[in-house]
Order: sequence, then C-alpha cells, then structure tokens
Amino acid sequence: MHPSGLYWAWYLLPALVVYLLFMAFPLLDSVRLSFFSDNTGSWEFVGISNYSKLFSNEFFEGVPYIQRYGNAIKNTCVFFCIHMLVQNVLGMLFAVILTNKRMRGRTVYQAVIFLPTTFAILVTGYLWKLLLNPIWSRGFLEGLGLGSLSQPWLGQPETALTAVSLISCWQWIGIPTMMFVAGLLNISDDLYEAAEIEGASKWSIFWRIKLPLVKPVVGMISILTFVNNFNAFDIVYATEGANGPPAYATDLLGTFFARVGILGQHPRGNADRGMGAAIATITFIFLIIGSLIVLNNTRTKEKEK
Amino acid sequence: MKRKLTLALALLLCMSMLIGLAACGGDDPATTTDNPPTDAPPTDAPPTDAPPTDPPPSADDPPLEDVELTMASWRTDDVAAVTDLLAKYKALVPNVTITFQPVNPPDYNSTLEMQLEAGTAADLMYARSYDVGQGLFNKGYLADCTGITGLMDNFAAGNLAPWQMPDGKMFAVPFAAVSHGVYYNKDIFADKGVSVPNTWAEFIDVCKTLKDAGVTPIANGIADNWDILECFFLSMVSNYVGVGATREQYENGDKKFSDDAWVKAYTAIAEAAPYLPSGFQSVTYDDMMALFASGGAAMAVDGSWTISVYDDVPFEWGVFAVPGPNDSKNINFHPDMAIGYNNATKYPEECKAFLAWLCTQEGASTASAALPTGFFPMIDFSIQLTDPHANEFLALNSGREPDARFVWPKLMFLYGPMLDAVNGVLTGSLTPQAAADAVQTAYENPPTD
Repeated sequence: MHPSGLYWAWYLLPALVVYLLFMAFPLLDSVRLSFFSDNTGSWEFVGISNYSKLFSNEFFEGVPYIQRYGNAIKNTCVFFCIHMLVQNVLGMLFAVILTNKRMRGRTVYQAVIFLPTTFAILVTGYLWKLLLNPIWSRGFLEGLGLGSLSQPWLGQPETALTAVSLISCWQWIGIPTMMFVAGLLNISDDLYEAAEIEGASKWSIFWRIKLPLVKPVVGMISILTFVNNFNAFDIVYATEGANGPPAYATDLLGTFFARVGILGQHPRGNADRGMGAAIATITFIFLIIGSLIVLNNTRTKEKEK
Repeated sequence: MKRKLTLALALLLCMSMLIGLAACGGDDPATTTDNPPTDAPPTDAPPTDAPPTDPPPSADDPPLEDVELTMASWRTDDVAAVTDLLAKYKALVPNVTITFQPVNPPDYNSTLEMQLEAGTAADLMYARSYDVGQGLFNKGYLADCTGITGLMDNFAAGNLAPWQMPDGKMFAVPFAAVSHGVYYNKDIFADKGVSVPNTWAEFIDVCKTLKDAGVTPIANGIADNWDILECFFLSMVSNYVGVGATREQYENGDKKFSDDAWVKAYTAIAEAAPYLPSGFQSVTYDDMMALFASGGAAMAVDGSWTISVYDDVPFEWGVFAVPGPNDSKNINFHPDMAIGYNNATKYPEECKAFLAWLCTQEGASTASAALPTGFFPMIDFSIQLTDPHANEFLALNSGREPDARFVWPKLMFLYGPMLDAVNGVLTGSLTPQAAADAVQTAYENPPTD
C-alpha cells in the first residue's frame, strides 16, 4: 500500500517550525526594526530615517556616516576580490594538481590544505597576530636573513586589509579545493582520453574540458565566497578588533554593522540597533540580488549542458 | 500499517521538538517557584552590627529566606578576589549568597543593556561612571541608591560625582578608582645612567639615551586601540590641557579642541613615536606587558591595575607620573568601578544591605583587601594598602590635582575621534594641527542620539 495525501508534510514540520521561528522571523523582524529607533529608551517608528542617515553627512565616530559606510563597502569589495583571486584561483590550481593521478601522497596534501579550515577563527586570528607581529617574529626572520619581512603587516593601514584577507584565504582555501576536487573527479576519463588522442595540450584540456565542466561548482563557490565575505566579521575581529584598525583600513560591512548595531563604540557601548538593522537589511537585499544573479547564470549553463 | 507508523514517527519527532522548546523556555518559572517571593525578609539590620558568624537560623526562629543574588561586572580578572569578598559577606549575612558573573570587558555595556531590556540582568551590577551609567538610570534600569545608609556621608563629593545624576541622585556606590603612570625598570635606568624625568623634555631625553644604548624605551603600542588613549595620551592631556574647571571650559565649548594646548599635546606624543617599539603598530596591550615584564623595554605607560602582573619580574621597578610641560601638577586618577542594583530585582532590600555594607569602614576595608592591587578605595575612611607599589602609585597623587580621564565626564563621544587623532600623529599620517582640527570637527557634530 502506498501512503497517499500530504503525509510527507509531517516530516517537514519540525524543520519548518525551527526555520520559521529562528530564521525567517528574526530576519523579517530585523527588516521591521530598521524603521524604528530605540535611542530614546523605547522603540519609536522613525520611517526611513535610519536609511537616509546612513547615506547622509550626519556624524558618526567623528566623521560623516556615509564616509564610514562607504569605507566599509570599499574594504569589503577589496576583501571579496582578494578571496576570489587568491582563495578560489589557488583552490582551483590545488584541485587540478590533487586530481593528478600520478602524483604520490595526494591524501596527505589534501589533508594539509584542508587542515586550517578546521581551526577556530579565534585561534587562526591569534596565531597570525603573533606570527605577523615584528616584536615576536623579528628574531626568527632575521635569523633567516629576511629581516625586511618583519613589518607590522596588521598594523599599517596600507597592508592590513590585504594581510587580513590573505589570512582568511589561508584558512578557508580547503573548501573550494575540496569542492573543485569533487567536481573534477566527476569528469569522465573518456573525455581526457579523447582529448589526448586529438592531441590537445594540458592547457587546452584545462580550459576546454575541466573548467567548463566544473562551472556549476565555480558558481557555487562564488556565491559562498560572496555571501561569506559580505557577512565577514570574525576574522577581522580576531586579528584586529571591532574598530577595523588601523585607521579603519580593515573595517568591513560586518565590523561596521557590529559596531553600530550590537557592540557600540568602546567604551560607551551605545549601540544604535535600529541603524544596525538598516545596515543588515541593505546587506541582506544586496546579497540576495547578487546570489540570484550568479545562481541564475550557472543554472542556465547547467541546462545547456 | 505503514501509514500509521509514519504518522507515529512524525508525531514523535514533533513531540520531541516541543519538549525541547519547553525545556528551553521553562527555566524561568522553575527557578521562580524555588524562591517564592515572600514578605520583606528581616535583613535590614545594619550588617556591621551582625556578629561575624551567625549560627544558622534554628527551627524556632522565623527562618531567614535563602536569597541568591547575582552580580554583573566587566572585571573578568577579579573572579577570585570578588568571590573572596562575597564569601566574607556571606559569613556576615549567611542567608544571602551573591554570585559574581563577569563578562568580557569590551562587551559589558552592550550585554548589560540587552539583559536589562530583556529582564534577565543580574541583581547587582558594576556601574560605569558618567553618561553610560546615567543613561541606564534614565531608562529606569538602575535603582536609586541615594538613600543607602552611609553613601552620602562617607564619600567626598568628588568621588560621588561620577555616579551622580545632575539632580544629585546616586545610581551606584563608588567602589574603586585607578591611577595611571609610567612603569619603569629601575635596573635598566641604573645601568644606563638615567634618572626619573620630571618634564616631557626630560622624558624624551631619557628615551633618546636609552635608545642610543640599544634599549627599547617605551613598550606601548597602538594595536589594541584603547590603552594608547586611556593610559598614555589622556594622562598627558591632564597636564598639557588641564583638569577640572579647564576641562569644563572645553565641555561647554568655551575653548576649542583645536587650540594651542591640544596641538602641543599631539606634538608631544608624536615626539614619543620613535621611542615606541619598532613595529608598534602591531603591539597590543598584552605585548606591551610582555615586553616590559621581560625587560625588553625600559618603560610602559599603563594603569595601576597592572601592578600585580609584575609581581614576579626579576628586576626592580617603580612608577612615576606621566610628565607634562614644566608647570604641570595634575594626574589622571580615574573613578573606575561602582556597584549599583537592578530596579527590577526581586530582592531590593538584600541588594541595599550589601551596598550599605560597602559604605561602612569594615565593608570598604574588606573590599579593598580583597581587590587586586592597583584599585584604590574611594571612601573617606583611611584604609591601609599593603602593596608597596600600590602605595607608590597612590603617593603620586600628593601635590597633584587628580581628575578623571578627560573625555569621560561629558565628552565620551570624542573617545573614537581622539583615538584616531592620536594614532594619526603617532603613525605620521596626521599633523598635530590636523589631528586637533579633526577632534574639534567631531565636537561640533555630536551624535544625535
């Protein structure tokens, strides 16, 4: 006897309840809160004033809001670009190397590349903070004759954002590598054989066969990187602090949001939660649009195939 | 049959979820039933009169209700000390148990406010001075402490002020103040033949001599974004700009943050930049302590709360006041901690009794003995400190006018801009004049909240 009707709905119910209660509701409620302000002690409806304030010349932390917000957007874009260029391109390179069947010790390399992903971010942050601190690394680097590398990489406005981005890439490179490896292993060997018989070079095998066939994975990785980077907060918090020092050079949308909406500026802790909700809402909408665009593009590619 | 099984399983899943939810939300009612609120428990008796160890209430006495209070704080370092203090209080008032629940210092204000709003905050809590505390009182979260026995009589007006509303109401009982100064390694000073400087010019000379001798003069860095302002620059500001009445002129707008006094202060701290550790941009507060403790730097500009960190260092050290221009006689002596209680607590009488005990000589002495070295009692009774370095710190006050950190009383919104200005002149990205101008601009555009 085959069960009929909506019996399967029972299975959905628990997850649905959790999802609605702990994800959908808070998300929508924060959209609602972005039209309120609690700066006077109670929540008051203020219309779109949080949004207009964010893009105005009204002062925050001693400079116009738009300057801080614009700076955070710019830094986040740079952070994202570095991840795409370093984390994902290197991930692809590692994946191609790791799927080379003639290479020995593949699993060892795979484990090594994946290992940092398992570290807690605070551990990563602390570790790199010490490694990149000239106070502690100078002796070692000078011993190697690399004394000039002993710079306060995380303390100079010119280098801090790149340093933090690379630390983040170092930690997460295992994820795209693994996904690309899985994607590449799915490609049938027949294709490579056929290509070799036709006399295709390694280079054109990569560009004409491997890359097009893992394009859906590229799409997924891009979305993951995009969403994670525009929500990034933890790695900056762990290596630099919530102020995005030095001189706001590492202030991402995530740290800006946390400072405005949750933490408040040290030592006042005067969080403006309505404004925080407004920043979160804008980021949320931006992420949805961005993800849909990427997802749509990779989906059609899949169908064409 | 199969369908029934599916249904049963699905129901089971749902049930287990509901139970899980109920268990999560069920904590509160459970604890309330444990301690049903009864009539005012008889703990009003001045705790000082209580015999040191009360026998547990016998069966024929009306049994004292066991009361459990929590105390919120930002002093995660003081768990042992405060637990010890609270144990001593429990010995006096056996039915009241106070549990110390500190949170990470930078998160304290925001965590506390969220808890207060949600009604889950502790009964007793450390209260920030000036406008942060006033804000909580205005929102009705902190209770009015004005009536607590001994509070208004046993503290000097200047020590009450940080936790006082403009109308004179108190929202907390002052607990401890901290001082700031320059820690210096006496062995290095003797070895390199330099002596304690009295003025900023002498200080820079000392730094130069030390650097020429291959020693890092000052251990401070800027990576943690608070100590350079709170310990270092604001200590200088007391001397370069002024305290008390002068500070009020800046608060009122009678004087400008871009005036000569400020430009000189920024110029002076910029002179110290070459004598900070190489790579000071990455030196954190912990790095600074490690550098000084390991003898890697000769001086560290820091607060008195760090005294006990250097208990076991293998060298002699001392402190001197952060120097200023020639005629400077001020010091940064900062009202740091006070304890207030929650307006929504179920046990206001017990909270008040504990705070009243802190206003007695016995309570304040016990507290001072329990607190880590470097936290100074603010009560009027003379309380002996045992640690020689703590006394050295306290001695810096004699002949100097103490004041809170410059921005604390009314200008907390300038904390960030001033920190940026200091970082800017130290790293050379701002001229002293530009730094001062930026702070003045920030002053003219206060946040709207």
